Amino acid sequence: MPRLRLKGVSKRYGATIALGRGDLTLMSGEVHVLMGSNGSGKSTLSKIIAGSVRPDDGVIECDGSVVTIPSPRAARDLGIAVFYQELSLASHRSVVENICLPRLSGTGGLFRNRAGMAAAAAPFIAPFESVLGDGFGLDVPVGRLRADQRQLVEIMKTLAAEPDIFIFDEPTSALDRAQVDCFMTVLRKLKAEGKSIIFISHRMDEIFEIGDRVTIIRDGETVSTSALADTSMDEILRTMTGEEAPGPAVPAVAAAPHVARQPSIKLKVSNLVAPGVNSVSFELAAGEILGFGGLHGQGQSAVLRALFGTAPTRSGDIEVGATRLKGNSPRASIREGLAYVSGDRARDGVIDGRSILENTVPIYALKNHLITASPRSLGTRAADALEQLQTKYQSLFHPISSLSGGNQQKVIVSRWLMAPPQVMLLDDPTKGIDIASKTELFRVLRDLAADGMAILLYSSEDAELLENSDRVLVFNNGRTVRELRGDERTRYHLYHAAYEAA
Amino acid sequence: MSMPQSTSRQRSVFERFPFIPALGILVALLILNGIAEPRSMSYGAITGLIKTYLALMFLAVAQSFVVFSADIDLSVGAILSLVNVVVVVLIERLGGGPDSVLLACLVGVLVGTLAGVFNGLVVVGLRLQPIVATFATGIVFTGLALWVLPVAGMPVPQAFWRTYGGRIFEIPFVFYVVILLAVFIWLAVRTKYIIELMAVGDNRLAAYQSGLPVTRIRIKAFALCGLLSAFAALCIIGDTASGDPVVGNAMTLYSVAAVVLGGTALSGGSGSLLGSAIGALILGLINSFVFFAGVSSEWQNFAQGVAVLVALMAGVLVTRRISK
Amino acid sequence: MTRLSTSIADLVRTPLVVALSLILALLLLGELLSPGFASSSQIMRLLIVASILGVVAAGQNLVILGGREGIDLSVGGVVSLSAVIAGNMMQGSDAGIIPAILACLATGAFFGLLNGLGVTLLRIPPLIMTLGMLGVLQGLLVVVRSGIPSGLAAPGLARFVTQPFLFGVPGMIWLWGAIGVLMALLLRRTLFGYRVYAIGSNENAARMAGVPADLIRISLFVLSGMFAAVAGFCIIGYAGSSFSNVGAQYMLPSIIAVVLGGTPLSGGKGGYTGTMAGAVLLIVLQSILTTLNIEEAGRQFAFGATLLVLMLFYGRGKALRG
Repeated sequence: MPRLRLKGVSKRYGATIALGRGDLTLMSGEVHVLMGSNGSGKSTLSKIIAGSVRPDDGVIECDGSVVTIPSPRAARDLGIAVFYQELSLASHRSVVENICLPRLSGTGGLFRNRAGMAAAAAPFIAPFESVLGDGFGLDVPVGRLRADQRQLVEIMKTLAAEPDIFIFDEPTSALDRAQVDCFMTVLRKLKAEGKSIIFISHRMDEIFEIGDRVTIIRDGETVSTSALADTSMDEILRTMTGEEAPGPAVPAVAAAPHVARQPSIKLKVSNLVAPGVNSVSFELAAGEILGFGGLHGQGQSAVLRALFGTAPTRSGDIEVGATRLKGNSPRASIREGLAYVSGDRARDGVIDGRSILENTVPIYALKNHLITASPRSLGTRAADALEQLQTKYQSLFHPISSLSGGNQQKVIVSRWLMAPPQVMLLDDPTKGIDIASKTELFRVLRDLAADGMAILLYSSEDAELLENSDRVLVFNNGRTVRELRGDERTRYHLYHAAYEAA
Repeated sequence: MSMPQSTSRQRSVFERFPFIPALGILVALLILNGIAEPRSMSYGAITGLIKTYLALMFLAVAQSFVVFSADIDLSVGAILSLVNVVVVVLIERLGGGPDSVLLACLVGVLVGTLAGVFNGLVVVGLRLQPIVATFATGIVFTGLALWVLPVAGMPVPQAFWRTYGGRIFEIPFVFYVVILLAVFIWLAVRTKYIIELMAVGDNRLAAYQSGLPVTRIRIKAFALCGLLSAFAALCIIGDTASGDPVVGNAMTLYSVAAVVLGGTALSGGSGSLLGSAIGALILGLINSFVFFAGVSSEWQNFAQGVAVLVALMAGVLVTRRISK
Repeated sequence: MTRLSTSIADLVRTPLVVALSLILALLLLGELLSPGFASSSQIMRLLIVASILGVVAAGQNLVILGGREGIDLSVGGVVSLSAVIAGNMMQGSDAGIIPAILACLATGAFFGLLNGLGVTLLRIPPLIMTLGMLGVLQGLLVVVRSGIPSGLAAPGLARFVTQPFLFGVPGMIWLWGAIGVLMALLLRRTLFGYRVYAIGSNENAARMAGVPADLIRISLFVLSGMFAAVAGFCIIGYAGSSFSNVGAQYMLPSIIAVVLGGTPLSGGKGGYTGTMAGAVLLIVLQSILTTLNIEEAGRQFAFGATLLVLMLFYGRGKALRG
């Protein structure tokens, strides 16, 4: 008998169908991978199981009997615990308090018991003992931990609920390899104990390493469930996207032709030091796409953000074109011709709840010192920029939140194209957007580079990075450790360089 | 755990006791008062200060509970007024004997708690913005208070205010109440509830996803707020010895100020109950210092205003520096 | 057809429409209970009172739109102070009008600037900053009032505020209308307006898009102080002379008017047109309760309860469960 079964579960928000027909059968002692492109509904499906989203329709069976899961609390009582991608931690509370939080009130007594809580948390911290890193401590407020440490705490909190069914929604996105290995060991142990695990990840290697079966969701509907041993990455991708394999996706760039003729330097960075950045120097020529690679969180993003003036402190020399960048603020950087596109759209890009027009024009307005806003004349210009990226929208006056993630990101890029910069800083720009939009985005970036724009690209997807960069700088611990050119731009060399120094 | 023990321990002293900066300000103000007017530090003067500001101390602690969960209650003053008139009128109706006083006080505490629960249901149950919703419920409570006692002035039996202003075993009665409040705070911060409450204030959605009964936790905070506001009302009755349907309304914003002075962030999730009580005393000491420092009467309010503003700003800045 | 019906349904749910229909309903009710309640002269009177609240609410609206828990509790203090300043400077003479309005505006701008600097440079939460400033202003009020005899409104100002000015409508209401138009233009047809909404919706993203968020927020507080000052100036025209702490009654109602007008306290959406309707709604409601001739207790109770019911129409938070 399956541990958990979902049949025809659906959820709609107004006119938008978040999940059309979700089916899932979860057995004991398996790691069940849930896959689907972004917006396909896998998060909605897991949130329905978690009790934090109310389904409109469908049947949920737990151990053979039909159940409703009206709240996360009810899910917990059914033996379900969830690792939330966006984390569910209280930043002012200590590590121990966070780990014990879900079970706090269930254990009787009015008063807390510090020693008891620490003892209760200990077995769940122990498996990660060797990879916790500096600054981790039982009494340290979670808000003071690094991103990877917070993610570990969320994992520990999920484990501490001691459920029978685990849902892990992107649990490893901030972890390094050693931390992932510890986590995989824990998962194997849980599997051996007969627990059921729903696993969502964008890391294909992990999926094949730990997964038993895979259920694929496309456009809100479950399309297939199969054993991972009987399938391949290629087949999964085909099922996920509903497309045939796109040959050699983007034609790899030939060894940058621009370098041959005396290039004009668009960006020169010397001894840049900022939080997470440890003396970085490089030059970027007009028409060049320079990639930042390496393990996640080694300073790639920190360099880009520091260049754009969002780091609290910064030292070193930055020259854009022929002028030296003085002020440390986005406005100063914009004025000198820098542009920045963040992968974290919700935090850094999208002005939520406002119209597409208002989201497209701010840079143009700033550079042209506009005082009044005429929706008609601004609209024409904005429409042109949006057209360049083939952005799909109904009306410029609709809120930006009405667009899909990919189209929202196109709006953000268009924002910069309305008044083209000299240098574009792309900080994992395709995070969480669909493949068609990615392709479109990189086609336009190529064109822009061909017209002489200089581009810095950090991508968390190695293939994307290698395919689109003329050169790749490999980062480790806030420094550049190697430069990959020409034929060296391969995953092998990338990881070789990244781990060599690690 | 492998961690740099020393630095994190130093930090955690302030983190575990967020009232320390407030305590510092309190001591500084005591010294300033002592310099300006040595008599202001006499036993009698301190007793008088506490007698006057005990109500605000309770009210500030009351406000803290809702602020911890990132809510706010702008009706605490109105609840105080309502309980004040309910108790005074009940004592009168029941004949004014010791039994009637006790019964009236119990009813008053119940009324305050119910008012708090009502706030909780309105804000949490109906999902209204706490600032505007509790402003509206405050008007409702004021209406009820005016219905119970339309004009100020009904006196309470002598025994009531004699006790409040008197001594037991040579120690002023109000000191016992302070100790009672301290014990309450000592117990409250050791409950599991306060951890859950802080988690709710820290990140409401995360707390819900963690399986906490967020709605119940928030309503409980409003109920506790009402309960303690009722105790504040009893102190006011002891101090003023009469019923007044609007006596507490001006105290609402002072309770918020005291909470902030005590090192609690209005954004919720962190702070200190003890700090809030100290914050109330700070407000009292600022007023007395301005008086004793010889500021001319017309400038006194201004000087108080400036001092409170500066203290508030300093409180916010210091608290933030520590939690960094 | 369905599209039409959904757009009608949307329209019915907009705060502006809700507020306007409630105003109409209340006026009808008032007329039924006490004939003459909805007469044109009575409506003018109501509008004059509403316009003063509405002007205060304009500044409040801007500060709230700018987000980051924007709120201005000091408006009450500015209203009181500028009423006293205006009275003292005019002393019943028309020649004093111009100096008085300038002095009021400067006062409002000054304290708004202080609020703005505290909120941006020192990052003091607006509630705390403006609460502290309220105390300072109330203290200053005592200083300004003492020693100087209470001032009188210039006859010109009193006429402007209370007497028909153009097409039988008092100047105060024209002024409010003009402010309404200017606010709409400011918010919808200027980059400043775009930027106000931008910092209110997502300040971080706005900064990344080159919006000078601190500068914008400071100007919002300055504008709020100035609007409050204008209101204080006009109050003395309405009341004839300044009286103690007249502004206290505008502090929280100005926030309620904004909320009833469909601008949530979280900022970033809404606008002033709704707030104007919210201000009228509040005043009509208060007036109807006065007309009912019931005791103070019942009036307060009914007012508070009605506000609670009205709030159910707007800005309810999202449920934690999707």
